[in-house]
Amino acid sequence: MAAILVFALGVVTFRNLFHCALCLAAALIGTAGIYIALQAEFLAGVQILLYVGGVITLVVFAIMLTEHLAGKTVRQNNAQSLPAIVGLAGFVTALIALILKTPWPVTEAALKAKTSAMGLGEALMGTYVFPFEVISIVLLAALIGTVVIAKKDAPEERP
Amino acid sequence: MENIGSFIDMIFVTAKAWILALLGQFLPVWIVVLASIVISGVAILCLGPVIMMYLTLLERKVIGRIQNRYGPNRVGIWGLLQPIADGIKMFTKEDIVPANADKLIHLLAPIMTVVPALMIFVVVPFGRQMTAADLNIGFLYFIAVSSITILPIFMASWSSRNKYSLLGGMRTAAQLISYEVPMTLAAVPAIMMSQSLSTNTIVLTQAGSFGLNWFIFTPWGIVGFIVFFLCATAECNRPPFDLPEAESELVAGFHTEYSGMKFALFYMAEYMNAFTLCGIAATLFLGGWQGPFLPSWVWFFGKTLALICIMIWFRGTFPRFRVDHLMAFAWKFLLPLTLVNILLTALWQFTSASAAWLFSIMILAAMLYMLVKLNRVFVPEKRNYVLAD
Amino acid sequence: MIFGAGVFKGMMVTLKNFLTSYYRDRDNGGIFTVQYPEEREKLAENYRNLPFLVYDGAPDQIRCVACGICERECPPKCIHIEMATDAAGKPARKPAVFDIDYSLCMNCGICEEVCPFDSIYMDHTFEITSQAGPRSLIRGKEALARSNDYFRKIRPAMAAAVDQKRKTAEDKKKAAATPPPPQEIK
Repeated sequence: MAAILVFALGVVTFRNLFHCALCLAAALIGTAGIYIALQAEFLAGVQILLYVGGVITLVVFAIMLTEHLAGKTVRQNNAQSLPAIVGLAGFVTALIALILKTPWPVTEAALKAKTSAMGLGEALMGTYVFPFEVISIVLLAALIGTVVIAKKDAPEERP
Repeated sequence: MENIGSFIDMIFVTAKAWILALLGQFLPVWIVVLASIVISGVAILCLGPVIMMYLTLLERKVIGRIQNRYGPNRVGIWGLLQPIADGIKMFTKEDIVPANADKLIHLLAPIMTVVPALMIFVVVPFGRQMTAADLNIGFLYFIAVSSITILPIFMASWSSRNKYSLLGGMRTAAQLISYEVPMTLAAVPAIMMSQSLSTNTIVLTQAGSFGLNWFIFTPWGIVGFIVFFLCATAECNRPPFDLPEAESELVAGFHTEYSGMKFALFYMAEYMNAFTLCGIAATLFLGGWQGPFLPSWVWFFGKTLALICIMIWFRGTFPRFRVDHLMAFAWKFLLPLTLVNILLTALWQFTSASAAWLFSIMILAAMLYMLVKLNRVFVPEKRNYVLAD
Repeated sequence: MIFGAGVFKGMMVTLKNFLTSYYRDRDNGGIFTVQYPEEREKLAENYRNLPFLVYDGAPDQIRCVACGICERECPPKCIHIEMATDAAGKPARKPAVFDIDYSLCMNCGICEEVCPFDSIYMDHTFEITSQAGPRSLIRGKEALARSNDYFRKIRPAMAAAVDQKRKTAEDKKKAAATPPPPQEIK
């Protein structure tokens, strides 16, 4: 967990944009590690597959296509960092207090529950089938929208 | 006879148990647990590079024979010491780092390429009870770790500060992500039929009738195997999908600026990836270590070696794909095929045997015909040039 | 099968090549690698590489008379000849020094073509590497001399033709040396 915090700090403080993306990848792998420690292996595998394999790849593609090869370094903080850190510290304190005060349903059944891939599959196809289908349609709409937006216009009439 | 057969079959498991029992007599329990992990780890760490070395030799000799020449045959008898000579050469080469390169990332990239390649060895079932760690998300682990290998390629190409490396790296990354999707989907039918993600369970489902009830003998198995194998060839950047590292174009792609040991690490990662992907293909579709008469690990290595020879055969036969053909093949042909394959598997499960074959072949033929028609060769329209008079 | 047929045919071709490479010999489409240096390719007769001097009989009886034509005709000027002088100081028709610098020789064969005394011909040797410095490839008269039997071995047709020519020339000379039989005066 400490490693995740260190890497997350690296994401916002490094000057080279590519290093920031790599720190993000490391932080996400660390999150997968937390999932494994909490005995949710399926979620850890899916986290690595989707986040590191997909999202970070997309982020790095974006960096590569827009950044100059020599890597101009960008200063990530400005004069307002100190008030921002103070505000953040206050927010984190409030959040921790809230988490500690909430009566989470820590019951025997909840502690012993272990989701497996099979359980997830059965839930998706059984109890939660309607949200599953809705999500698929939303994804399909997003895909079609991307293709429409990215399509080049038809060539103009020749003079 | 039975006893000798099963003794040879379990010889590695028995040896490890014997060592652990020996250690357990005078060491506390936690050291024995640690030793168990360490023994498996050491076995994999020794096995991986040795396999890679002799794979390079096998490839050079087989390609030589295909091209009507001997492979390397000077260094040892049949060239058996050639990989060692190669290793010595790579070790002693000067390590050149470009002056503008991002030194830390340049150093990290080959290391981060080899680590996932070695990590996959953990879930490969080498024989009966010989998986190093029988995770119950075995296959998902394999896919997740394969998808990590994309990031170090980006790192390598970016940190070299070289236009050609960058181009090569981006093409490689695009190829790898595109072929990951049909690869995962092609393996889904095998997982569906064995109802578990654990690689050992997938192998055990293919038992029955002398251990020859492999998934490849079903229509969805054939299609799934072919698609998975093609995607696996693309995932290890092997010909005919090796445009990103082609030696005659783009210099050497993302590993242009690497020399000596770092290049050796990339090379090692590619061959180890090839071995593990063939191993997983054998597990999913060819029945892993199942088979009559011979010990289980002999079957496994035999099948994997046969698949690797087919990959080498591909290398000796085909020219390279052009990069837009590469991507079109993955997205427009393999992906719809895998989706239909999943539906086909469900159909197979719920119909009787003979009807199932008939329906499957009809649907597959229709699908292939449609896909071929839809993937017509792109002919650009004629341009009319207006000449200045 | 219409779609994947070309792929399959290609793979069958390479498979056939792979399998036949194990038992077909060199001239039938098998492996044609020559395992140098244990085996060597058979060289054609007219292969020319670096000249040598022919002798009949003893190695110091080379046919060369030190006329100097090959020295003048050699394009890179790699031949150096000095005529020997006999006891009285008059030029003897033998070379005292006959050096060819193998590192300059370009194997054109012009010296062979212009020699009027059938004494210098092109050899088949190519394994002459030396690590002893830039002047170690200069070959002197003794190193260049090879017997006529050697000549006949490496270039049988040429050697036979040269021997034939020399024999007819010698027979004609002998015939000219003996006085003609006296003619009947009618």
